[in-house]
Amino acid sequence: MTLEAIDVHHSYGYETVFEGVSLSVTPGEVVAIIGPSGVGKSTLLRLLALFDAPDDGAIVYDDDPVWEVSDQRRLEYRRRIGMVFQDASLFDASVRRNAEYGLRVRQSWRERLRHELGGLVGKENGTGAAVDALETVGLREQAEQDASSLSGGEAQRVAFARALAYDPDVLLLDEPTSDLDPRNTAVLEDAVLEARDRDIGVVIATHDMHQAERIADRVGVLLGDEIIEVGPTERVFEDPVDDRTRKFISGELIY
Amino acid sequence: MSLEQQMLTALVVDFPFEWNYIRSIVRVSLYVSLTAVALSTLLSLPVALLVGFKEFRGKTLLTSIINTGMGFPSVVVGLVVLFAVSNQGPLGSFDLVFTTEAMILSQIVLAAPVITGVSLAAVSSVEQNVRDAAYAMGGTNLDVALVTIKEARYGIATAVLAGFGRAISEVGSVLIVGGNIASSDGTSVTRTITTAIQLEARQGRFETAMILGAILVVLVLLVNAIVVRLGSGGGRYG
Amino acid sequence: MTIQRREFLSVLGGGVAVGLAGCTGADDSDGPEISGETLTLTTTTSTYDTGLLDELNAPFEDRYGVTVDAVAQGTGAALRTARDGDSDVVMVHARSLEDEFMEEGYGVNRRDLMFNDFVIVGESDDPADVEGEDDAAAAFEAIAEAEATFVSRGDESGTHTKELEIWDETGLTVEEFGEWYLDGGGGMGETLNTANLDGGYTLVDRGTFLDMRDEIDLELLVEGPVEGGSEMLMNPYGIVAVNPAVHDNVNYDLAMAYIGYITSLEGQEIIEEYRSNDEQLFFAEALSEDPNFRQYLPEGWERSSDD
Repeated sequence: MTLEAIDVHHSYGYETVFEGVSLSVTPGEVVAIIGPSGVGKSTLLRLLALFDAPDDGAIVYDDDPVWEVSDQRRLEYRRRIGMVFQDASLFDASVRRNAEYGLRVRQSWRERLRHELGGLVGKENGTGAAVDALETVGLREQAEQDASSLSGGEAQRVAFARALAYDPDVLLLDEPTSDLDPRNTAVLEDAVLEARDRDIGVVIATHDMHQAERIADRVGVLLGDEIIEVGPTERVFEDPVDDRTRKFISGELIY
Repeated sequence: MSLEQQMLTALVVDFPFEWNYIRSIVRVSLYVSLTAVALSTLLSLPVALLVGFKEFRGKTLLTSIINTGMGFPSVVVGLVVLFAVSNQGPLGSFDLVFTTEAMILSQIVLAAPVITGVSLAAVSSVEQNVRDAAYAMGGTNLDVALVTIKEARYGIATAVLAGFGRAISEVGSVLIVGGNIASSDGTSVTRTITTAIQLEARQGRFETAMILGAILVVLVLLVNAIVVRLGSGGGRYG
Repeated sequence: MTIQRREFLSVLGGGVAVGLAGCTGADDSDGPEISGETLTLTTTTSTYDTGLLDELNAPFEDRYGVTVDAVAQGTGAALRTARDGDSDVVMVHARSLEDEFMEEGYGVNRRDLMFNDFVIVGESDDPADVEGEDDAAAAFEAIAEAEATFVSRGDESGTHTKELEIWDETGLTVEEFGEWYLDGGGGMGETLNTANLDGGYTLVDRGTFLDMRDEIDLELLVEGPVEGGSEMLMNPYGIVAVNPAVHDNVNYDLAMAYIGYITSLEGQEIIEEYRSNDEQLFFAEALSEDPNFRQYLPEGWERSSDD
C-alpha cells in the first residue's frame, strides 16, 4: 500500500503547523523525516495515522483520499497501519497480551470475549503472529512477564512487536529510539530493516541524522512549516539542494 | 449445619425462626444492593468516560451534579423516589411502592454518583498515550474505551466498592420506599440488614441488632476482599 | 400489577435484575384467582412491634393463599400512604385522624377493632407527684406545673395525637412550653429510651411499655382504663379500607376480606388471646350484640350534615 500526504495544511488553534506538506511512502521503503525537535514530526505522523483530519490537503491510501470514504472503509485503511511512539505506551498487561492487542481488536466480539474469559481462569491461548513478532525483537522468552517489569529498551521493543504482529502495510515510527541505549537501538533498527524486507513501508521520524543515514532509503527534511527537501538519503546528505538542509545537517542551523 | 449457623443459632435460641429471618434479610439486602450497584456501574462507566474524555455542552453542570450526588442524603433520595413511584407519581402505574424494585431504584440514585465520581478520577488518570496506542493499533473508539476501563480497573473496583458500601449500609431511602416489610412467617420481603437493625433496636432486641450489625460489617469486608481479589486477578500482570 | 412490575424490571435493565429476581422469592407467583395477591397494610408501630400482626396475618395468608405486606409507620404516615393509594387497608389508633380520612373520601367501611390504653410513665422519684392520679389531664397539668422533663413523640402518631388531646384538655398551649418539653422525634421505643435516659415522663401505650419494661427503668405512674384508671387514656384501634372509587388500583376485595377476617370470631379471639410476656396487650372490640353504628361514621357526623 502506498501512503501519501498531499499538500497538507494543518494548524492547532491559531498556530500553523504545516503549510503545504507532501510526503509518500511505498512498500519496502524506509523514509526518514528529520528536522529539529518541535517542528511537527509527530503531528505529521499522527495525520498519516488518521488521528485527525488535516485542515486542508489530503491523506491518500492507495489513491483513495481517506477522509472522503465511509467510516468503515477508513477503519479498514487505518488497520493497515502500525505505529510506535516515543515512549512505549504499553498496556498494563503481559508482554504477550500487549503484542496480541492489534490482532484482538480485529477479531469478532465472540472470539474476544472467549479470550477474555479464558484469561480470567488462567487459560491462555497464544496466537502465533504475536509470538513471531516478539521473536523479531528478541523478546519471545519474556512473553509471560508483566509489561511493567521490562526495561525501557525492552518495553519499546515490545511496542514495536505490538505494531508488527498484525502484519501492517505501513509502520509509522515516532522517535522510537530517542530514549534508548545503543544496544536496544541496534535491535530496533535491525527490526525496521527486517520489516522493510517483508515489503512494509516505514516512515520514521527522528532527530538522529546518523540513524537516518543508517536505515533510510529516502529522507525528508521538515523545517518551519514545510518539507524543504526530499530525496534519496545519500544525495540529501552529501549534496543537498536546499542550503538550509546543508546547514541543518552540518549543525550550523540550531533551533 | 455449618459452624457459623450453629453459632448463630446458639446466640438466638429464644427466637425459633431467627436464623431463617436473618438469612432472608441478608438475601434481600444483597439482592437489592448488588443489583443496584451492577446497574449503577453500567450507567456510571459510560458517563465517567464521556466526562473524562469528551468536551460537550453541560459538562460542568453534569460534573457538579455528580459531585453533589456523591454526598446526597439518602433520606432525601428516598423521599424523591417515593414521590416518583407512589401511586400519584410519574411511575405510579408500575405499582412499585414497598417493593425491592423501588429500593433498587433509590439505591441506584445513591450509588451511581459515587461510582461515577470515583471512576471518573480513575479513568482520567489513564495516560493519553496509552489510549493513543490502542487507537493506532486499529482500535475503535469502543476499543479505546475498553482499554481505558482495563487500565483503570483498580480505581473502578474501588468505585464499585464505594458504591456498594454506600448502598448496603444506607438506611434512609430503603426504609421509606421499601417499608421494611417482613412476612408473618418471619421472611424478609423488603427488610434489609440496616432497616432490620433499626427495627430490632427500636424494639429493644439489641442482641439481634448486634448480630445483624456484625453480619453487615463482615459482608462489607467480604465483598471488599472479593472485589480486590477480582481486581488483582484481572491484573495479574500489573 | 405483577405484570407491570415485570415490565418495569426489564425497562430497568433486563438481565441482571431478572436473573437475580429469583432470590426475593415471595410475591411474584402467577394466577388469575385471589391467591398470590398481595395486600398492603399500613399500620402503626405499636401493633407491629408487639408482634400481634404476625399472629393475626399468618392464618389469613394461609386461608386465602395471599401475602400481607405490613408496613409499620406512624398513624399520620400510615394514613398519608393510604391517601396516596399506596396501601389497601389501614389499621391505626387516632379516631380524629381516621374521621378526617373518611370525611375526605379516602376511606370506607371503618370498623372498631380493638383497644388498649395509654399509661403515663416516669422515673420512680416522680418529681411532679403524679403517681396514682386517676385523671390524665390533671397529671399532665402537674407535670407542666413542675416543669419536669416530658418526652413527646412529636410525630403525628396516634400516641402523639392522644397526647395533644390531653394537653388540650388542660387548657395549656404546647407551643409555649419550655425546655422541659422534649420532642422524641421517633417511634415509641425510641421515645421510651429517650425518656429513660433523660429521666422524663412520657405517654406510652400499655403494650409497648409492657414489652420494653425489662429494658428500662421507668415506672408506670398513671393507669389507663384497662386497669380502672383515667378514661381519657383509652386507646381504640380502627381499621379502614381505602376507597376503590378514589384509587382504582387498590385491592379492595382483599382489603374487605381482611377486615372481615380480623373482625370475625377467629380474628377477635387471636387478639384477645395474644400475650407478650404473659400480659394481654389488646382487647377485642369488634364483636358486639348491641348495635354500634358509631364505628362506621365520623364522630358527630349526623350533627354536621342534616340535609
